Amino acid sequence: MIYLDNSATTRVLDSAAEAAAHCMREAFFNPASAYAPAAAVEKQVEAARARLAACLHADSSELLYTSGGTESNNTAIFGTLRAMRGRKRIITSGVEHPSVYEVFRTLENAPDTEVVYLGVDGEGRIRLDELSAALTEDTALVSLMQVNNETGAINDLSGAQALIKKRAPHAYFHVDGVQGFGKLPFGPVPCDLYSISGHKLHAPKGVGALYVKRAVRFQGGLIGGGQERNLRSGTTNTPGILGLDASLTAYTLNQEQWRRHMYDCKERLAKNLLSIPDSGINGPAPAMGAPHILNVSFPGVRGEVLLHALAQKEIYVSTGSACSAHKRGKNRVLAAMGVMGPRQEGALRFSLCPFNTLEEMDIAAQAVAEQVAFLRRYQRR
Amino acid sequence: MDSMETVLLVRYAEIHLKGLNRPFFERALMNAIRRALAPAPVEVVREQGRIFVYGIAADRLMEAAARLSRVFGIHSVSPTCAVEKRFEAIEEAASVLMRETLDELEGESHSFKVFSRRADKRFPLRSEDICRELGHTLLQRFPALRVDVRAPEIRVGVEIRQERAFVYVREIPGAGGMPVGTNGRAMLLISGGIDSPVAGHMIAKRGVAIDAIHFYSYPYTSERARDKVIELAKIVARYAGPIRLYLVPFTEIQLAIYDHCPPSETTVLMRRLMMQIAERVARSSGAQALITGEAIGQVASQTIESLTVTNDAVSMPVFRPLIGFDKEEIIDRAKAIGTFDTSIQPYEDCCTVFVPQHPVTKPKVEKLRESEALVDFAPMIERAIADMQLVEAAEG
Repeated sequence: MIYLDNSATTRVLDSAAEAAAHCMREAFFNPASAYAPAAAVEKQVEAARARLAACLHADSSELLYTSGGTESNNTAIFGTLRAMRGRKRIITSGVEHPSVYEVFRTLENAPDTEVVYLGVDGEGRIRLDELSAALTEDTALVSLMQVNNETGAINDLSGAQALIKKRAPHAYFHVDGVQGFGKLPFGPVPCDLYSISGHKLHAPKGVGALYVKRAVRFQGGLIGGGQERNLRSGTTNTPGILGLDASLTAYTLNQEQWRRHMYDCKERLAKNLLSIPDSGINGPAPAMGAPHILNVSFPGVRGEVLLHALAQKEIYVSTGSACSAHKRGKNRVLAAMGVMGPRQEGALRFSLCPFNTLEEMDIAAQAVAEQVAFLRRYQRR
Repeated sequence: MDSMETVLLVRYAEIHLKGLNRPFFERALMNAIRRALAPAPVEVVREQGRIFVYGIAADRLMEAAARLSRVFGIHSVSPTCAVEKRFEAIEEAASVLMRETLDELEGESHSFKVFSRRADKRFPLRSEDICRELGHTLLQRFPALRVDVRAPEIRVGVEIRQERAFVYVREIPGAGGMPVGTNGRAMLLISGGIDSPVAGHMIAKRGVAIDAIHFYSYPYTSERARDKVIELAKIVARYAGPIRLYLVPFTEIQLAIYDHCPPSETTVLMRRLMMQIAERVARSSGAQALITGEAIGQVASQTIESLTVTNDAVSMPVFRPLIGFDKEEIIDRAKAIGTFDTSIQPYEDCCTVFVPQHPVTKPKVEKLRESEALVDFAPMIERAIADMQLVEAAEG
């Protein structure tokens, strides 16, 4: 099997699976309970939170654990809007993940709210001049992704933050970091809120985090036992949190080496695929995007058909975000980039992880080349 | 209340017209009723133009009535209270039902009317006496009620039968049509789209048992596309009873068409080959006709010329119940029978798997026969049938 769908989800690291299993079988106590073994688990969770915060150069008190990227994104948006009154413009882009984009679509119906969707350039990045023009005094929130999940395009967050500070000083800046966290170098993030998902980083599904800068006025959504500083009630997901902690430890130790390796793989794959006639990259040049996402079009072939042909050879890729693979219609992200017609229909996303090999890139590209050549015999003549 | 048992009263539709065949139709309907209520061990009894279903737990009664409302051949269903044939018992049951009905409605002030049928003429009160007396009782016990014989809000029904009396207030409309299996068997070509399940449902409604055949293009169509078709067949089976679904691998034939035949004719040639295979399988399955979801002019392969060319590929009759329907009408029906949401799941099917050709809209029979003769399809058809899988799709 050659697994090239790591942006959909990743295989859990052995160390992360063991940490999670330990929390299920031995250290299963509720960290909120009063006796010593429970307190020991609580300490482990807080140590994990501190390590996660350190990845962002943030303080432990600024990180909430959640159930994953979707909850983090939803909570970031609703949590800040709940806490602020009066201001009404909210800004996002047309290429966001559904867990942001669909929230903004819903908010179109909210009273006194004006929703603005920014376009992107031909490589899938936000245009700062367009953002600048959209920012107003009464802007309440800007939500942008760090790395586009379909193309690997990296947004200029620092540039965006500078503009927001200047033109909309009261606005909060939320960044969906689900595809960027761990894949881009760890360090401070230039924003007020930042969403993280565990299962994109070889941690179990069902755990994520939300960074909320200390000064941000923010209201949590889940009400109950008061966990997570009363911002996100719910029994602490210790297997998920300590699983994520184990995978983060691995990322922290190996990040530069893993990033280099993924770039090597990505460039090798891109070079191989571009030797297929008429193929073309959607998004930035391989070295300019995130190290793990490559989107390539093979005009004259339907992406889904090519996907199934590759699956028969146990090579797994996707035609787009798994979260929208079940929805009818066009690819919203590629359309926003101006990728239309046969280029859009024939697009495949290859997403890598540190454990892919250069050899896999050659085998996969060879299989794609064969299938594209075969299937193109049956295209419109 | 031991003397009061809940029983479903089933009125049936066109069976009345069927003269000497009537016992055959009634048996088929009773079987369909048992099947729809399985695995609940119910007792289904026929009595003078009615069918009674005993043995349903009181809390499952409405669900059972809903299931029966999908059974073809049923005109309407009423959950009833079965009581002793004494007027006092009837009064008691009617009062209980009226109380329940008023609790579901707003306020106490509503209009009603009593309907009655005296099948057992030994019962001392005639129908009109029952209506008058029971109406009187209800007015006394529920003083805010008023009688309206033209358009009553509440209809209280009483049927006096040989063994017992049945009292009801609800009459749930049935699906109409005829019991499945009373009008032979036909083979539905099912694609996974919106139209074919609706076509199957319509023919099943006329009492025809349904088999189905689906063509898939492994490996280019997904497992999920197949599962979707199985799911659609299961939904149709809620109405039509268990469906034998044949899944036929079609890739080899499809590629041969693309490799050797004129590009503009690929779609209509694919349809001819599918019809031929469907007819073969239909004969061995005991089906006497084919069913498709085609409508005139919906797509290029559904012009009168194209339909002529597809018909030419087979000798069995081809039923196209949607032939005069607009897409909107088909969608409305798909929503009503519950197949729409499954049909619109976006998976490639064998007709969309390759980038489509510009199809010919006015194909000629002779020309298509010639094109088909360019390839020796016979051994491929044999292989496709040999590799075919059978799935029993029954309501889950």
